[in-house]
Amino acid sequence: MSGPQILVVEDERQIRRVVRSALESEGCRVQEADSCRQALIEAGHCRPDLVILDLGLPDTDGAHFVQDFRSWSSAPVLVLSARSTEHDKIDVLDAGADDYLTKPFSIGELQARVRALLRRGRANADAEAAQVSFGDVEVDFSRRLVSRQGEAVKLTPIEYRLLAVLLAHAGQVMTHRQLLREVWGTASSDSNHYLRIYVGHLRHKLESDPAQPRHFLTETGVGYRFQL
Amino acid sequence: MPVPLSRLLFESQSVRFRYLLAVLACVLALGVALPLRDVLDLANAVMIFLLAVVLVASRLGRGPAVVASLACVALFDFFFVPPRFSLAISHGQYLVTFLVMSAVSLLIGQLTAGQRRQAYDAGHRESITRALYDLAKRLAGARQPGEVDRALRDFIGKQLGAGAWLLLPDADGAPQAESLAAGTLGTLDMQIGRMVLDSGRVIESGASERSGRRRHFLPLAGAGEVCGVLIVSLAEDAIDELPLLEALTSLAATAVERLHFVAAAQSAQLEAESERLRSSILSALSHDVRTPLTALYGMADSLAMQHEVLPDEAHELAAAIRDQALRVNGMVDKLLDMARLQSGRVSLRREWQSIEEVVGSSLQLLGPAMARHPVRTSGLGELPLVQFDAVLLERVFCNLFENAAKYAPPDTPVQVSARAGAELLEVQVRSGGDGFPPDRLEQVFELFERGGSEGPVAGIGVGLAICRSIVEVHGGTIRAFNPPEGGGCVAFTLPLGTPPAIDVEALESGVLP
Repeated sequence: MSGPQILVVEDERQIRRVVRSALESEGCRVQEADSCRQALIEAGHCRPDLVILDLGLPDTDGAHFVQDFRSWSSAPVLVLSARSTEHDKIDVLDAGADDYLTKPFSIGELQARVRALLRRGRANADAEAAQVSFGDVEVDFSRRLVSRQGEAVKLTPIEYRLLAVLLAHAGQVMTHRQLLREVWGTASSDSNHYLRIYVGHLRHKLESDPAQPRHFLTETGVGYRFQL
Repeated sequence: MPVPLSRLLFESQSVRFRYLLAVLACVLALGVALPLRDVLDLANAVMIFLLAVVLVASRLGRGPAVVASLACVALFDFFFVPPRFSLAISHGQYLVTFLVMSAVSLLIGQLTAGQRRQAYDAGHRESITRALYDLAKRLAGARQPGEVDRALRDFIGKQLGAGAWLLLPDADGAPQAESLAAGTLGTLDMQIGRMVLDSGRVIESGASERSGRRRHFLPLAGAGEVCGVLIVSLAEDAIDELPLLEALTSLAATAVERLHFVAAAQSAQLEAESERLRSSILSALSHDVRTPLTALYGMADSLAMQHEVLPDEAHELAAAIRDQALRVNGMVDKLLDMARLQSGRVSLRREWQSIEEVVGSSLQLLGPAMARHPVRTSGLGELPLVQFDAVLLERVFCNLFENAAKYAPPDTPVQVSARAGAELLEVQVRSGGDGFPPDRLEQVFELFERGGSEGPVAGIGVGLAICRSIVEVHGGTIRAFNPPEGGGCVAFTLPLGTPPAIDVEALESGVLP
């Protein structure tokens, strides 16, 4: 078999079963683990291309696993979490997880997220694209030009930098802290509103309805996700 | 109980009896001296009488001593000084005898009286010290304000013979009497008590016409503010007792303050514990209910995706199971939200953010549920940043949009608009349809209250109650009304505050303020 290898870390057998069948129908190979300890052993064994990690594991919290895993692998990590656990989500994302899915999730959504993360994993290996387009917007990185419906859009240096960071992590949840670090080099939790203002600017310049964005998505209480 | 003779002789309090004893002592001296009259010199006979006077002066006090000296001089004069058996004095030198005897008796009487007074004072002081010590012990062991009150009243009653009341402030700072005997305190007393509580100064009332007593209102000043008032009703001549009262108030203040701190610590601990219990129950419940729902939803969804394998009917059933599971999940979410909000202590993660962004994230979260209700926004881009908890405000918008989608006819738009006033920001969410029942515009925000109670629309009537709780913890208000152009509208306010200044130049040069 040659499909991508996926490690599913989830303590609930029925949910594991659903996830496995959803992934196998996409042609993935699935390895299961029901605790973080076992997951680390399995991960060393099967060298997964992607890890799906439940946040409510009984033995230790997900952030620990991600830290450990990140020390030797850059494979994407998709987190499954319950609602109203923003703190845990932020912790695990800051530790290096790439995206999260709130329970209950639909099979289609899970498959789409997995596809996006696997694609990004491969894209990272290739050279970075010089041109990106989404909606009616074109971004030309080589010439630092952004245009919408063929007309040039004027972005300030910071707006451009934020756009570049979001595009580089397309399909991935970026926490406020990660974005502040990437754009300004430092982060403190009381600077989040600067980020909100700049994302607002990008939405007003690049989205057709800034109140109902289709690309610059808010992950409330956590951060932002850019979606192509 | 038989009274010891010595006590009867020397410590009797009866004044007349003491004078009688004085006279008896003189007669006794006469009885001793008279048989020896022929043997003794006059000067030595005087010594016997002098002894009697000294004894009387030292034991019975000044008055009896003077009487004794007079009586002894008279007896001595009558029986010993020639001419005998007459009070006449033949020789001027007996006048000296008389004067010396009087002076000695007065002097000794004075000395012993002073000594007795000192001894009495020392005893009194000791008994007060002991009583204070006992009081301090009782106060230290007191576990209720009532016990402090009783201990103080016992002490003041016994030591000063005065009435006393303890006033402690209630939750609103109004003084409340602790004892059951508080009936004797009038409204005026309570008002004065309040003044003392507020000012921390001693206030003295005028003397009562009936009893001649004054009420002293003494503030109990602890380490912090005034923690109570001690009222003591003292007689006019009891001014000497004021230092004692001072000691008393500082003891009482310590006790009251200690009780206050103990109570505060206990209630804080209790609250923290019940809070911990509540939140652990909620999260366990949330996990335990959501896990099987997630599995159920996922399994139904994967069944519903098997187009080729399943007959149409089974396929539809699977989709229906999936949708129902999602609805149950939505209800569980709402009930848990409500339980969290109603548990009283919601920790808000307030940050400066934009309404526009939350509206967007709520719509994104609802996704296909809003497919048949296009949402139109106006004025959201121009609003200032407002301080709120985005996760909670997202719940407000989700509930309002869901309600609009539920009650408004399909394909009617939902309108979101907002306006910033001087101190408040008002957001309005309007939807088409019949609007709210005009007579229940208030009640729709109550828990388990539904707009159309018998209507065909499913729901548990928690959504608007959640909205109200969230808006209120943010310091805003929420109301429902039916605008004249039709449909229903929910409007809520949030306090504007002063958003942080934005230094664009610094930000653009890559410096985070």
